[in-house]
Amino acid sequence: MSLIADLGLGFSTALSLTNLFYCFLGALVGTLIGVLPGLGPVATIAMLLPLTFGLDPVTALIMLAGIFYGAQYGSSTTAILINLPGEASSVVTALDGYKMARQGQAGKALATAALGSFFAGSVATLIIATMGPLLAGVALRFGPAEYFSLMVLGLIASVAMASGSVVKALAMIVIGIMLGLVGQDMYTGAARLTFGQPQLLDGMEFVAIAMGLFGLAEICQNLEDESARASSVGRVGSLMLTREDFRRIARPVLRGTGIGSLLGILPGGGATIGAFAAYVLEKRVSKTPERFGNGAIEGVAAPESANNAGAQTSFIPLLTLGIPANATMAMMVGALILHGVTPGPNIISTEPTLFWGLIASMWIGNLMLVVLNLPLIGIWVKLLSVPYRMLFPLIVALCCVGVYTVSNSTFDVMLMVGFGILGYLFMKLGCEPTPLLLGLVLGPMLEENLRRAMLTGRGDPSVFVTRPISAVLLGLAVLCLVAMLLPKVRKTREVAFEE
Amino acid sequence: MNKLTSTVAAVAATIAFAASAQAADYPAQPIEIIVPYAAGGGTDLSMRVLAEALQKQLAGATVVVRNVPGGGGSIGTGQSLSARPDGYTLGTGAQGPITLLPHYGATTYAIDDTDFLQLIARNLWVVLACKDAPFQTFDAFLDHAGANPGTVLIGNSGAGGANHLSIEAFGRASDTSYEHVPFGGASEALTACAGGHIDAVTATPAEARPHIESGAVTPLFVMEAERIADLPDVPTATEKGIDFTWSSWKGVIAPKGLPEDVRSTLVAALSAAVQDPDFVARMQDMGETVDTRDGAAYEEMARKDSQMAEEIIRDLGMYGMNK
Repeated sequence: MSLIADLGLGFSTALSLTNLFYCFLGALVGTLIGVLPGLGPVATIAMLLPLTFGLDPVTALIMLAGIFYGAQYGSSTTAILINLPGEASSVVTALDGYKMARQGQAGKALATAALGSFFAGSVATLIIATMGPLLAGVALRFGPAEYFSLMVLGLIASVAMASGSVVKALAMIVIGIMLGLVGQDMYTGAARLTFGQPQLLDGMEFVAIAMGLFGLAEICQNLEDESARASSVGRVGSLMLTREDFRRIARPVLRGTGIGSLLGILPGGGATIGAFAAYVLEKRVSKTPERFGNGAIEGVAAPESANNAGAQTSFIPLLTLGIPANATMAMMVGALILHGVTPGPNIISTEPTLFWGLIASMWIGNLMLVVLNLPLIGIWVKLLSVPYRMLFPLIVALCCVGVYTVSNSTFDVMLMVGFGILGYLFMKLGCEPTPLLLGLVLGPMLEENLRRAMLTGRGDPSVFVTRPISAVLLGLAVLCLVAMLLPKVRKTREVAFEE
Repeated sequence: MNKLTSTVAAVAATIAFAASAQAADYPAQPIEIIVPYAAGGGTDLSMRVLAEALQKQLAGATVVVRNVPGGGGSIGTGQSLSARPDGYTLGTGAQGPITLLPHYGATTYAIDDTDFLQLIARNLWVVLACKDAPFQTFDAFLDHAGANPGTVLIGNSGAGGANHLSIEAFGRASDTSYEHVPFGGASEALTACAGGHIDAVTATPAEARPHIESGAVTPLFVMEAERIADLPDVPTATEKGIDFTWSSWKGVIAPKGLPEDVRSTLVAALSAAVQDPDFVARMQDMGETVDTRDGAAYEEMARKDSQMAEEIIRDLGMYGMNK
């Protein structure tokens, strides 16, 4: 019964006229800045922070949360329409979403993203409401060994995601991990692979690399190929999902929601890994895995549901441990502290209005996003009929401004250009950039946790198999590896028999 | 005179004129405070609160905060110290970039390039015993560390950072040694501590309070000379006979060579801003310890810290390693 009382408190808080207004305002602003990547959510929230001084902490947080998922939603929109993922979590959406857009199904892809996100958001809200206090404890059980095993699982699973050659995918992961090593070594303080550039001490900017490898490389490719340019014009296709589409996305949405909610609870990169993991799982269980990477609607539905569910549940480590999943959420911790609320394990009992009000407003915010975005899909899709010669300079300009605003650094803009050229080369070589990005995100965490586990385990490598959670994760990784290699083994055998 | 040189001359003349005109009607354009960290952190928030308060003191002025993260704070600090000294670009003088990073050799500036204007706040530190740690009091902690040199696992926010060096300094003062376990940030280290994955950790009282209240961690000692109001029952290392204190701090700095009248306008406005009751209340809400030392006292503290840090960094063999 306390669940109903808690949610009742939440909804009575979130449904006050002021809070509804700020929730809507946040969702609207978030969508706009997400779609126009010139001004990222971090810069926006930073500018809006002083304006929230006069507001109630709940109201301020509700608005900022609205900006957060609005922006996340917007970044999926650009990933689908112009292959420009603004955040790590929408990298996966770009894989099939952009292909769908090229096939004239942009409307369907966007509708799938909206509905999948809304469903996932609703379920995740319920999960937080029923299990939030319990879930807070899960993160505490994850020590260095558990995180290391989780990263191993994530990296191995990502090999399965590549549609082409496994060797190339492995090579891209390794390149990603190596790029992730650039910067100051946390354990010695020494600068690694920075070549005397102080800008590289904190590592390479993810957004610059992602926008270069995806956005800029795609533009090079399109400019080279005349038919690609022509095909983006005019063919808009149906906006609505058919019964058949709903049948196809139902299970992926459910599985994506499950994976995303689960991984979102883990502090740090949890929410990001969710989208990758959901995609891999769909490809594994699909009877037609070859459609993935070529515009499979399941390839949009699953990661979109996962990233929204993960975004929602990652409020648990944010509020109870103060560990943000990304830069935008770091701003929200700041907003909390600014209002005199310190994240902590007892926040649910000490600040019930804030906690439940925020949870309820997430659901309302998600509803608003659907209402706001479904009619907008028609407008976004029309963007695609803008002649490419006018569209691409605009995309390039937006990329530059977007990357610059992340840390006010021209170095990052140059980095993006460099990775644009590299991405073009990768395309020519038939190497997919997604495993590289995953290596870039997970590689540093892999190294960090391996070394930390060795320190806390006092040099004993058996910690990885004697700790139960870690052992299970490693076991899953082995299974993944075996499942991946088996068909190959079978195939080579068949080939051998034929000879 | 060719076209280029004449243009350059004209621009130079304009700048010279502008500079002399600026001094009289300062501030005539927006003042920018560079924060060398990403938006949303403790230092960033403090500077944003200060920007609001400073704006009230300088009639008609706009004070904006610009985040220039990177290089552990050295990029933004370097940018503010190499800016034109006209009072329109100020910097954030935080402990790490000013007193620690130059010793590692990867900075474009040294402490001597800094004009210290006004200290704003200090962050006090408390050492906590983690869940299931074999000690719960300061004396037990010290006995355990003494009996097991180099094995007590203490979490920090990265090698060479302030809370790593503070424990190194404490070890020197108390003749003990520790195994340092770096984390991606204070909250990550605190989470590992509350989960019992390490033995002890350093945190600010504000960060630690929720975990102390939940019973997951126990405060051992504070790194101040006197006990603090937030944790009145927790001893200091000093009262236990160990000559050791450490705190981190932040203030407003500028490149050297500000025009005298601009500097005095700024200093007056800053010292009024940090006394503003709204400012003080907001900082206290955030768990900051407001400390309003003037430029001279601020510089003295920074130089003392820099000297102490240099000794430890040389001792650890980390001096100039990123040159």
